[in-house]
Amino acid sequence: MAPAELDSAVSEEKEADAKPGKQRRSKGTLKRIVTSVPELTLLILLILGGYLLMAVFSKVQGTQDLTPTSMWLIIAGSFLISTAIAIIAVVAGIGGGVIFTPIMLGFTSMDSLVIRATGLVVAMFSGLISSGPFMKSRLANLRVVFFCGVPITVGALAGSVCAIYLHDALGAVGDGMVRLSLGILMLVIAYFLLTGGGKTEYPEPEHIDALSVKLGLNGSYWESSLGKIVDYQLVRALPGALIFILLGFIGGFFGMGGGAFLTATLNLVMMAPVKIAAACSGVLLAISNATAIWTYITYGALIAIVVAPWLLGQVVGGILGAHLLIRIRAGFVRKILIVILVLSSLKLIARGVGGAFGIHIPLVG
Amino acid sequence: MPGEKLKVPFAGLIYGQIIYWGVMLGCLIVVFGSVIAFTTRHNFAPASYWISSVWRGDSPARIWQGITGALPMGHWYFSHLTTGDGMSAFGISLGVFSVVPALFLSSAVLFKEGDRFYGLLALICGFIVLTGVLGLIPTG
Repeated sequence: MAPAELDSAVSEEKEADAKPGKQRRSKGTLKRIVTSVPELTLLILLILGGYLLMAVFSKVQGTQDLTPTSMWLIIAGSFLISTAIAIIAVVAGIGGGVIFTPIMLGFTSMDSLVIRATGLVVAMFSGLISSGPFMKSRLANLRVVFFCGVPITVGALAGSVCAIYLHDALGAVGDGMVRLSLGILMLVIAYFLLTGGGKTEYPEPEHIDALSVKLGLNGSYWESSLGKIVDYQLVRALPGALIFILLGFIGGFFGMGGGAFLTATLNLVMMAPVKIAAACSGVLLAISNATAIWTYITYGALIAIVVAPWLLGQVVGGILGAHLLIRIRAGFVRKILIVILVLSSLKLIARGVGGAFGIHIPLVG
Repeated sequence: MPGEKLKVPFAGLIYGQIIYWGVMLGCLIVVFGSVIAFTTRHNFAPASYWISSVWRGDSPARIWQGITGALPMGHWYFSHLTTGDGMSAFGISLGVFSVVPALFLSSAVLFKEGDRFYGLLALICGFIVLTGVLGLIPTG
Protein backbone atom coordinates (compact mmCIF):
# COMPACT_ATOMS: atom_id res chain seq x y z
CA MET A 1 0.00 0.00 0.00
CA ALA A 2 0.14 3.12 -0.12
CA PRO A 3 0.33 5.75 2.49
CA ALA A 4 3.88 4.59 3.10
CA GLU A 5 4.79 4.43 -0.55
CA LEU A 6 2.97 7.64 -1.24
CA ASP A 7 5.15 9.31 1.36
CA SER A 8 8.33 7.92 -0.06
CA ALA A 9 7.21 8.89 -3.55
CA VAL A 10 6.63 12.46 -2.42
CA SER A 11 9.99 12.68 -0.67
CA GLU A 12 11.81 11.09 -3.62
CA GLU A 13 10.06 13.58 -5.81
CA LYS A 14 11.27 16.44 -3.63
CA GLU A 15 14.81 15.20 -4.03
CA ALA A 16 14.38 14.91 -7.79
CA ASP A 17 13.02 18.43 -7.95
CA ALA A 18 16.14 19.75 -6.35
CA LYS A 19 18.09 18.56 -9.41
CA PRO A 20 18.17 20.49 -12.70
CA GLY A 21 16.33 19.33 -15.84
CA LYS A 22 12.61 20.05 -16.04
CA GLN A 23 11.77 17.39 -18.66
CA ARG A 24 13.62 14.69 -16.78
CA ARG A 25 11.73 15.69 -13.63
CA SER A 26 8.31 15.49 -15.33
CA LYS A 27 9.03 12.02 -16.69
CA GLY A 28 10.49 11.02 -13.34
CA THR A 29 7.43 12.26 -11.47
CA LEU A 30 5.03 10.31 -13.67
CA LYS A 31 7.16 7.17 -13.45
CA ARG A 32 7.42 7.47 -9.69
CA ILE A 33 3.66 7.87 -9.27
CA VAL A 34 3.00 4.86 -11.52
CA THR A 35 5.52 2.61 -9.75
CA SER A 36 5.08 3.75 -6.16
CA VAL A 37 1.28 4.08 -6.09
CA PRO A 38 0.24 1.20 -8.41
CA GLU A 39 -3.28 1.05 -7.02
CA LEU A 40 -3.83 4.66 -8.15
CA THR A 41 -2.69 3.77 -11.67
CA LEU A 42 -5.03 0.78 -11.65
CA LEU A 43 -7.90 2.93 -10.41
CA ILE A 44 -7.33 5.61 -13.06
CA LEU A 45 -7.19 2.94 -15.81
CA LEU A 46 -10.38 1.35 -14.50
CA ILE A 47 -12.17 4.72 -14.38
CA LEU A 48 -11.08 5.65 -17.91
CA GLY A 49 -12.00 2.17 -19.20
CA GLY A 50 -15.31 2.35 -17.36
CA TYR A 51 -16.24 5.73 -18.82
CA LEU A 52 -15.29 4.46 -22.29
CA LEU A 53 -17.58 1.45 -21.83
CA MET A 54 -20.33 3.77 -20.57
CA ALA A 55 -19.99 5.88 -23.73
CA VAL A 56 -19.86 2.98 -26.22
CA PHE A 57 -22.36 0.51 -24.71
CA SER A 58 -24.71 3.01 -23.08
CA LYS A 59 -28.27 1.78 -22.57
CA VAL A 60 -29.38 5.01 -20.97
CA GLN A 61 -32.48 6.51 -22.55
CA GLY A 62 -32.95 10.21 -23.18
CA THR A 63 -35.43 12.26 -21.18
CA GLN A 64 -37.26 15.56 -21.77
CA ASP A 65 -34.33 17.45 -20.25
CA LEU A 66 -31.25 15.50 -21.36
CA THR A 67 -30.02 13.28 -24.19
CA PRO A 68 -27.98 10.10 -23.40
CA THR A 69 -24.83 11.85 -24.68
CA SER A 70 -25.35 14.87 -22.44
CA MET A 71 -25.88 12.54 -19.46
CA TRP A 72 -22.56 10.83 -20.16
CA LEU A 73 -20.91 14.24 -20.54
CA ILE A 74 -22.31 15.31 -17.16
CA ILE A 75 -20.82 12.21 -15.49
CA ALA A 76 -17.42 12.36 -17.25
CA GLY A 77 -17.28 16.15 -16.83
CA SER A 78 -18.06 15.84 -13.12
CA PHE A 79 -15.12 13.44 -12.74
CA LEU A 80 -12.72 15.83 -14.51
CA ILE A 81 -13.93 18.90 -12.60
CA SER A 82 -13.75 16.99 -9.31
CA THR A 83 -10.17 15.92 -10.07
CA ALA A 84 -9.25 19.55 -10.80
CA ILE A 85 -10.97 20.75 -7.60
CA ALA A 86 -9.11 18.15 -5.53
CA ILE A 87 -5.74 19.21 -7.00
CA ILE A 88 -6.48 22.92 -6.40
CA ALA A 89 -7.75 22.15 -2.88
CA VAL A 90 -4.67 20.14 -1.92
CA VAL A 91 -2.29 22.75 -3.34
CA ALA A 92 -4.20 25.59 -1.64
CA GLY A 93 -4.41 23.63 1.62
CA ILE A 94 -8.20 23.63 1.99
CA GLY A 95 -11.06 21.14 1.62
CA GLY A 96 -12.62 20.63 -1.82
CA GLY A 97 -16.09 21.29 -0.41
CA VAL A 98 -15.20 24.97 0.03
CA ILE A 99 -14.92 25.23 -3.76
CA PHE A 100 -17.67 22.77 -4.78
CA THR A 101 -20.57 23.71 -2.51
CA PRO A 102 -20.61 27.52 -3.05
CA ILE A 103 -20.16 27.21 -6.83
CA MET A 104 -22.93 24.62 -7.18
CA LEU A 105 -25.28 26.49 -4.83
CA GLY A 106 -24.53 29.79 -6.52
CA PHE A 107 -24.57 28.85 -10.19
CA THR A 108 -26.76 25.75 -10.65
CA SER A 109 -30.41 24.94 -10.13
CA MET A 110 -29.67 21.70 -8.25
CA ASP A 111 -31.48 21.19 -4.95
CA SER A 112 -29.49 22.56 -2.02
CA LEU A 113 -29.74 19.33 0.01
CA VAL A 114 -28.44 17.23 -2.90
CA ILE A 115 -25.58 19.72 -3.38
CA ARG A 116 -24.70 19.65 0.32
CA ALA A 117 -24.68 15.83 0.41
CA THR A 118 -22.41 15.76 -2.65
CA GLY A 119 -20.33 18.57 -1.12
CA LEU A 120 -19.64 16.44 1.95
CA VAL A 121 -18.27 13.68 -0.30
CA VAL A 122 -16.11 16.23 -2.11
CA ALA A 123 -14.92 17.68 1.21
CA MET A 124 -14.25 14.31 2.75
CA PHE A 125 -12.53 11.92 0.38
CA SER A 126 -9.27 13.76 -0.26
CA GLY A 127 -8.99 14.08 3.55
CA LEU A 128 -9.74 10.38 4.05
CA ILE A 129 -7.12 9.30 1.54
CA SER A 130 -4.45 11.58 3.04
CA SER A 131 -5.07 10.42 6.64
CA GLY A 132 -2.51 7.62 6.27
CA PRO A 133 0.42 9.74 5.03
CA PHE A 134 -0.36 12.41 7.63
CA MET A 135 -0.33 9.82 10.42
CA LYS A 136 2.87 8.21 9.17
CA SER A 137 4.72 11.49 8.93
CA ARG A 138 3.60 12.32 12.52
CA LEU A 139 2.14 15.58 11.22
CA ALA A 140 -1.31 14.43 12.33
CA ASN A 141 -1.17 14.02 16.10
CA LEU A 142 -3.43 11.13 17.10
CA ARG A 143 -4.16 12.64 20.52
CA VAL A 144 -5.13 16.01 19.06
CA VAL A 145 -7.27 14.27 16.42
CA PHE A 146 -9.21 12.17 18.95
CA PHE A 147 -9.49 15.00 21.50
CA CYS A 148 -10.96 17.39 18.89
CA GLY A 149 -12.73 14.50 17.13
CA VAL A 150 -15.40 14.11 19.81
CA PRO A 151 -16.69 17.73 19.76
CA ILE A 152 -16.42 18.06 15.99
CA THR A 153 -18.41 14.86 15.33
CA VAL A 154 -21.11 15.92 17.81
CA GLY A 155 -21.36 19.28 16.01
CA ALA A 156 -21.33 17.66 12.56
CA LEU A 157 -24.17 15.26 13.43
CA ALA A 158 -26.24 18.11 14.89
CA GLY A 159 -25.53 20.30 11.83
CA SER A 160 -26.61 17.65 9.34
CA VAL A 161 -29.85 16.92 11.23
CA CYS A 162 -30.63 20.67 11.40
CA ALA A 163 -29.98 20.99 7.65
CA ILE A 164 -32.63 18.36 6.90
CA TYR A 165 -35.15 19.89 9.34
CA LEU A 166 -34.66 23.40 7.92
CA HIS A 167 -34.93 22.12 4.34
CA ASP A 168 -38.19 20.32 5.10
CA ALA A 169 -39.69 23.05 7.25
CA LEU A 170 -38.81 26.23 5.34
CA GLY A 171 -38.54 25.06 1.72
CA ALA A 172 -37.44 27.79 -0.73
CA VAL A 173 -37.09 30.43 2.00
CA GLY A 174 -34.82 28.07 3.97
CA ASP A 175 -32.75 27.46 0.82
CA GLY A 176 -32.42 31.23 0.36
CA MET A 177 -31.25 31.63 3.95
CA VAL A 178 -28.70 28.82 3.48
CA ARG A 179 -27.33 30.49 0.33
CA LEU A 180 -27.19 33.90 2.01
CA SER A 181 -25.39 32.67 5.15
CA LEU A 182 -23.01 30.50 3.10
CA GLY A 183 -22.21 33.51 0.90
CA ILE A 184 -21.25 35.54 3.97
CA LEU A 185 -19.23 32.60 5.34
CA MET A 186 -17.37 32.34 2.02
CA LEU A 187 -16.35 35.99 2.23
CA VAL A 188 -14.91 35.29 5.70
CA ILE A 189 -12.99 32.26 4.35
CA ALA A 190 -11.69 34.35 1.41
CA TYR A 191 -10.49 36.95 3.93
CA PHE A 192 -8.77 34.19 5.94
CA LEU A 193 -7.02 32.93 2.81
CA LEU A 194 -6.04 36.47 1.78
CA THR A 195 -4.51 37.43 5.11
CA GLY A 196 -3.35 33.98 6.13
CA GLY A 197 -5.52 34.47 9.26
CA GLY A 198 -2.46 35.78 11.10
CA LYS A 199 -1.08 32.23 11.21
CA THR A 200 2.31 31.70 12.77
CA GLU A 201 4.64 28.91 11.69
CA TYR A 202 5.82 27.92 15.17
CA PRO A 203 3.63 29.60 17.81
CA GLU A 204 5.12 29.99 21.26
CA PRO A 205 2.37 30.03 23.91
CA GLU A 206 2.91 32.52 26.74
CA HIS A 207 0.88 30.49 29.20
CA ILE A 208 0.37 26.73 29.17
CA ASP A 209 -2.80 25.62 30.97
CA ALA A 210 -2.79 22.65 33.30
CA LEU A 211 -5.56 20.80 31.44
CA SER A 212 -3.66 20.74 28.14
CA VAL A 213 -0.57 19.44 29.93
CA LYS A 214 -2.59 16.79 31.79
CA LEU A 215 -4.19 15.68 28.52
CA GLY A 216 -0.76 15.30 26.97
CA LEU A 217 -1.63 17.42 23.93
CA ASN A 218 1.97 17.62 22.77
CA GLY A 219 4.23 15.98 20.24
CA SER A 220 7.23 16.32 17.99
CA TYR A 221 7.89 16.04 14.28
CA TRP A 222 10.76 16.29 11.82
CA GLU A 223 10.83 19.77 10.27
CA SER A 224 12.76 19.42 7.02
CA SER A 225 13.01 23.20 6.41
CA LEU A 226 14.84 23.62 9.74
CA GLY A 227 16.64 20.27 9.60
CA LYS A 228 15.65 19.41 13.15
CA ILE A 229 12.96 17.86 15.32
CA VAL A 230 10.36 20.41 16.50
CA ASP A 231 8.61 19.84 19.85
CA TYR A 232 5.27 21.50 20.52
CA GLN A 233 2.66 21.81 23.27
CA LEU A 234 -0.95 22.70 22.54
CA VAL A 235 -2.85 25.02 24.90
CA ARG A 236 -6.47 26.12 25.55
CA ALA A 237 -7.88 22.61 25.27
CA LEU A 238 -11.34 23.55 26.57
CA PRO A 239 -12.01 26.67 24.43
CA GLY A 240 -10.60 24.75 21.45
CA ALA A 241 -13.03 21.87 22.02
CA LEU A 242 -15.99 24.29 22.23
CA ILE A 243 -14.99 25.97 18.95
CA PHE A 244 -14.77 22.54 17.30
CA ILE A 245 -18.43 21.85 18.15
CA LEU A 246 -19.36 25.01 16.21
CA LEU A 247 -17.05 24.17 13.29
CA GLY A 248 -18.47 20.64 13.11
CA PHE A 249 -21.98 22.11 13.00
CA ILE A 250 -21.05 24.48 10.14
CA GLY A 251 -19.49 21.61 8.16
CA GLY A 252 -22.46 19.29 8.67
CA PHE A 253 -25.03 22.00 7.96
CA PHE A 254 -23.50 23.54 4.83
CA GLY A 255 -22.00 20.33 3.43
CA MET A 256 -18.44 21.53 3.27
CA GLY A 257 -15.36 21.21 5.37
CA GLY A 258 -14.25 24.66 6.40
CA GLY A 259 -10.69 23.41 6.72
CA ALA A 260 -9.40 27.00 6.82
CA PHE A 261 -11.28 27.53 10.10
CA LEU A 262 -10.07 24.22 11.59
CA THR A 263 -6.46 25.02 10.77
CA ALA A 264 -6.83 28.55 12.17
CA THR A 265 -8.37 27.24 15.42
CA LEU A 266 -5.59 24.70 15.93
CA ASN A 267 -2.89 27.22 15.04
CA LEU A 268 -4.18 30.45 16.60
CA VAL A 269 -6.24 29.23 19.56
CA MET A 270 -4.55 25.95 20.49
CA MET A 271 -1.10 27.08 19.29
CA ALA A 272 -0.21 24.07 17.15
CA PRO A 273 2.56 24.62 14.55
CA VAL A 274 0.95 25.42 11.21
CA LYS A 275 2.01 22.10 9.58
CA ILE A 276 0.53 20.12 12.48
CA ALA A 277 -2.62 22.25 12.38
CA ALA A 278 -3.06 21.68 8.62
CA ALA A 279 -2.53 17.91 8.86
CA CYS A 280 -4.79 17.47 11.91
CA SER A 281 -7.50 19.57 10.27
CA GLY A 282 -7.39 17.30 7.19
CA VAL A 283 -7.94 14.18 9.31
CA LEU A 284 -10.59 15.92 11.45
CA LEU A 285 -12.47 17.09 8.35
CA ALA A 286 -12.68 13.50 7.18
CA ILE A 287 -14.02 12.28 10.55
CA SER A 288 -16.59 15.07 10.93
CA ASN A 289 -17.87 14.79 7.36
CA ALA A 290 -17.99 11.00 7.65
CA THR A 291 -20.34 11.55 10.61
CA ALA A 292 -22.53 14.19 8.98
CA ILE A 293 -22.98 12.43 5.64
CA TRP A 294 -24.93 9.48 7.07
CA THR A 295 -27.85 11.78 7.86
CA TYR A 296 -27.96 12.74 4.17
CA ILE A 297 -27.46 9.11 3.02
CA THR A 298 -30.26 7.66 5.13
CA TYR A 299 -32.58 10.56 4.23
CA GLY A 300 -32.02 9.86 0.51
CA ALA A 301 -30.26 13.13 -0.40
CA LEU A 302 -27.13 11.38 -1.64
CA ILE A 303 -27.82 10.36 -5.25
CA ALA A 304 -25.16 7.72 -5.88
CA ILE A 305 -25.05 7.86 -9.70
CA VAL A 306 -24.44 11.61 -9.56
CA VAL A 307 -22.07 11.54 -6.58
CA ALA A 308 -19.89 8.68 -7.93
CA PRO A 309 -17.79 10.73 -10.40
CA TRP A 310 -17.26 13.44 -7.78
CA LEU A 311 -15.96 10.84 -5.31
CA LEU A 312 -13.63 9.22 -7.85
CA GLY A 313 -12.27 12.61 -8.91
CA GLN A 314 -11.51 13.51 -5.29
CA VAL A 315 -9.53 10.33 -4.69
CA VAL A 316 -7.54 10.58 -7.94
CA GLY A 317 -7.04 14.36 -7.65
CA GLY A 318 -6.20 14.15 -3.94
CA ILE A 319 -3.29 11.78 -4.56
CA LEU A 320 -2.11 13.60 -7.72
CA GLY A 321 -2.36 16.93 -5.90
CA ALA A 322 -0.03 15.70 -3.16
CA HIS A 323 2.59 15.02 -5.86
CA LEU A 324 1.97 18.23 -7.79
CA LEU A 325 2.14 20.24 -4.56
CA ILE A 326 5.88 20.43 -5.04
CA ARG A 327 5.87 21.92 -8.51
CA ILE A 328 2.93 24.32 -8.49
CA ARG A 329 3.22 27.69 -6.75
CA ALA A 330 0.73 27.51 -3.87
CA GLY A 331 0.50 31.31 -3.66
CA PHE A 332 -0.76 31.57 -7.25
CA VAL A 333 -3.41 28.86 -6.68
CA ARG A 334 -4.56 30.60 -3.50
CA LYS A 335 -5.09 33.85 -5.43
CA ILE A 336 -7.23 32.05 -8.02
CA LEU A 337 -9.15 30.41 -5.21
CA ILE A 338 -9.83 33.75 -3.50
CA VAL A 339 -11.26 35.13 -6.75
CA ILE A 340 -13.47 32.01 -7.13
CA LEU A 341 -14.68 32.32 -3.53
CA VAL A 342 -15.48 36.04 -3.79
CA LEU A 343 -17.39 35.59 -7.06
CA SER A 344 -19.31 32.58 -5.69
CA SER A 345 -20.11 34.41 -2.46
CA LEU A 346 -21.51 37.43 -4.35
CA LYS A 347 -23.71 35.11 -6.42
CA LEU A 348 -24.75 33.18 -3.30
CA ILE A 349 -25.64 36.36 -1.41
CA ALA A 350 -27.64 37.66 -4.36
CA ARG A 351 -29.53 34.36 -4.78
CA GLY A 352 -29.94 34.09 -1.01
CA VAL A 353 -31.48 37.57 -0.74
CA GLY A 354 -33.77 36.68 -3.65
CA GLY A 355 -34.84 33.35 -2.15
CA ALA A 356 -35.23 34.49 1.45
CA PHE A 357 -36.65 38.02 1.01
CA GLY A 358 -37.86 38.04 -2.59
CA ILE A 359 -35.50 40.92 -3.53
CA HIS A 360 -33.95 40.57 -6.98
CA ILE A 361 -30.43 41.94 -7.33
CA PRO A 362 -29.60 42.72 -10.96
CA LEU A 363 -26.46 41.36 -12.71
CA VAL A 364 -25.49 38.87 -9.98
CA GLY A 365 -28.94 37.82 -8.85
CA MET B 1 16.93 11.13 7.89
CA PRO B 2 16.90 12.09 11.57
CA GLY B 3 13.13 12.36 11.46
CA GLU B 4 12.92 8.62 10.94
CA LYS B 5 14.10 8.13 14.53
CA LEU B 6 10.74 9.47 15.72
CA LYS B 7 8.44 6.58 16.48
CA VAL B 8 5.18 6.57 14.55
CA PRO B 9 2.24 5.60 16.79
CA PHE B 10 0.95 2.15 15.78
CA ALA B 11 -2.64 3.26 16.44
CA GLY B 12 -2.17 6.05 13.90
CA LEU B 13 -0.75 3.67 11.29
CA ILE B 14 -3.68 1.29 11.76
CA TYR B 15 -6.11 4.19 11.46
CA GLY B 16 -4.60 5.47 8.20
CA GLN B 17 -4.19 2.05 6.56
CA ILE B 18 -7.76 0.91 7.21
CA ILE B 19 -9.22 4.13 5.83
CA TYR B 20 -6.94 4.14 2.76
CA TRP B 21 -7.82 0.60 1.71
CA GLY B 22 -11.48 1.00 2.64
CA VAL B 23 -11.67 4.04 0.35
CA MET B 24 -9.83 2.24 -2.46
CA LEU B 25 -12.18 -0.75 -2.23
CA GLY B 26 -15.16 1.60 -2.15
CA CYS B 27 -13.86 3.35 -5.29
CA LEU B 28 -13.56 0.04 -7.19
CA ILE B 29 -17.14 -0.86 -6.31
CA VAL B 30 -18.31 2.62 -7.34
CA VAL B 31 -16.61 2.27 -10.77
CA PHE B 32 -18.24 -1.13 -11.40
CA GLY B 33 -21.59 0.17 -10.16
CA SER B 34 -21.45 3.18 -12.48
CA VAL B 35 -20.61 0.98 -15.50
CA ILE B 36 -23.48 -1.43 -14.71
CA ALA B 37 -25.85 1.52 -14.24
CA PHE B 38 -25.02 2.90 -17.69
CA THR B 39 -24.53 -0.25 -19.75
CA THR B 40 -27.35 -2.45 -18.45
CA ARG B 41 -30.96 -1.95 -17.43
CA HIS B 42 -30.31 -3.66 -14.12
CA ASN B 43 -30.94 -0.66 -11.87
CA PHE B 44 -33.12 0.19 -8.90
CA ALA B 45 -34.18 3.28 -10.88
CA PRO B 46 -32.96 4.17 -14.39
CA ALA B 47 -29.71 6.19 -14.47
CA SER B 48 -31.46 8.69 -16.75
CA TYR B 49 -34.10 9.28 -14.06
CA TRP B 50 -31.53 10.01 -11.33
CA ILE B 51 -29.45 12.35 -13.52
CA SER B 52 -32.38 14.21 -15.06
CA SER B 53 -34.09 14.74 -11.71
CA VAL B 54 -30.97 16.12 -10.09
CA TRP B 55 -30.21 18.26 -13.16
CA ARG B 56 -33.77 19.71 -13.03
CA GLY B 57 -33.28 20.65 -9.39
CA ASP B 58 -35.81 18.24 -7.90
CA SER B 59 -35.69 17.83 -4.14
CA PRO B 60 -34.85 14.41 -2.66
CA ALA B 61 -38.49 14.01 -1.61
CA ARG B 62 -39.67 14.61 -5.20
CA ILE B 63 -36.98 12.33 -6.66
CA TRP B 64 -37.89 9.44 -4.36
CA GLN B 65 -41.60 10.12 -4.86
CA GLY B 66 -41.12 8.96 -8.45
CA ILE B 67 -39.38 5.72 -7.41
CA THR B 68 -40.78 4.35 -4.17
CA GLY B 69 -43.36 6.99 -3.32
CA ALA B 70 -41.50 8.10 -0.19
CA LEU B 71 -38.04 8.94 1.09
CA PRO B 72 -35.97 5.81 1.87
CA MET B 73 -35.11 6.80 5.46
CA GLY B 74 -32.48 4.09 5.65
CA HIS B 75 -29.90 2.13 3.72
CA TRP B 76 -32.03 1.26 0.67
CA TYR B 77 -29.04 -0.09 -1.30
CA PHE B 78 -28.52 -3.14 0.96
CA SER B 79 -31.47 -4.86 -0.67
CA HIS B 80 -30.33 -3.83 -4.19
CA LEU B 81 -26.61 -4.63 -4.11
CA THR B 82 -26.54 -6.26 -7.56
CA THR B 83 -28.04 -3.25 -9.31
CA GLY B 84 -25.81 -0.53 -10.78
CA ASP B 85 -27.12 2.32 -8.64
CA GLY B 86 -27.34 0.13 -5.52
CA MET B 87 -23.73 -0.99 -6.00
CA SER B 88 -22.57 2.62 -6.46
CA ALA B 89 -24.36 3.73 -3.30
CA PHE B 90 -22.85 0.77 -1.41
CA GLY B 91 -19.34 1.67 -2.64
CA ILE B 92 -19.70 5.26 -1.46
CA SER B 93 -21.03 4.11 1.91
CA LEU B 94 -18.21 1.58 2.29
CA GLY B 95 -15.61 4.28 1.68
CA VAL B 96 -17.21 6.53 4.29
CA PHE B 97 -17.80 3.64 6.71
CA SER B 98 -14.07 2.78 6.74
CA VAL B 99 -13.73 5.48 9.41
CA VAL B 100 -15.68 3.31 11.89
CA PRO B 101 -13.41 0.20 11.98
CA ALA B 102 -10.41 2.54 11.80
CA LEU B 103 -11.57 4.34 14.95
CA PHE B 104 -12.47 1.13 16.81
CA LEU B 105 -9.24 -0.69 15.95
CA SER B 106 -7.01 2.26 16.80
CA SER B 107 -8.98 2.56 20.04
CA ALA B 108 -8.22 -1.11 20.78
CA VAL B 109 -4.52 -0.50 20.09
CA LEU B 110 -4.50 2.53 22.39
CA PHE B 111 -6.17 0.51 25.19
CA LYS B 112 -3.62 -2.26 24.69
CA GLU B 113 -0.79 0.26 24.90
CA GLY B 114 -2.23 1.59 28.17
CA ASP B 115 -3.41 4.93 26.76
CA ARG B 116 -6.93 4.43 28.11
CA PHE B 117 -8.13 8.04 27.92
CA TYR B 118 -7.42 8.44 24.22
CA GLY B 119 -8.60 4.89 23.58
CA LEU B 120 -11.90 5.94 25.15
CA LEU B 121 -12.08 9.13 23.07
CA ALA B 122 -11.52 7.11 19.86
CA LEU B 123 -14.26 4.73 21.00
CA ILE B 124 -16.65 7.64 21.65
CA CYS B 125 -15.86 9.10 18.20
CA GLY B 126 -16.59 5.68 16.68
CA PHE B 127 -19.95 5.46 18.45
CA ILE B 128 -20.92 9.00 17.36
CA VAL B 129 -20.21 8.05 13.73
CA LEU B 130 -22.18 4.82 14.26
CA THR B 131 -25.13 6.89 15.52
CA GLY B 132 -25.14 8.54 12.12
CA VAL B 133 -24.67 5.24 10.25
CA LEU B 134 -27.62 3.62 12.03
CA GLY B 135 -29.77 6.74 11.58
CA LEU B 136 -30.58 6.82 15.29
CA ILE B 137 -31.38 10.55 15.25
CA PRO B 138 -34.74 11.03 13.51
CA THR B 139 -34.81 13.54 10.65
CA GLY B 140 -38.44 13.63 9.71
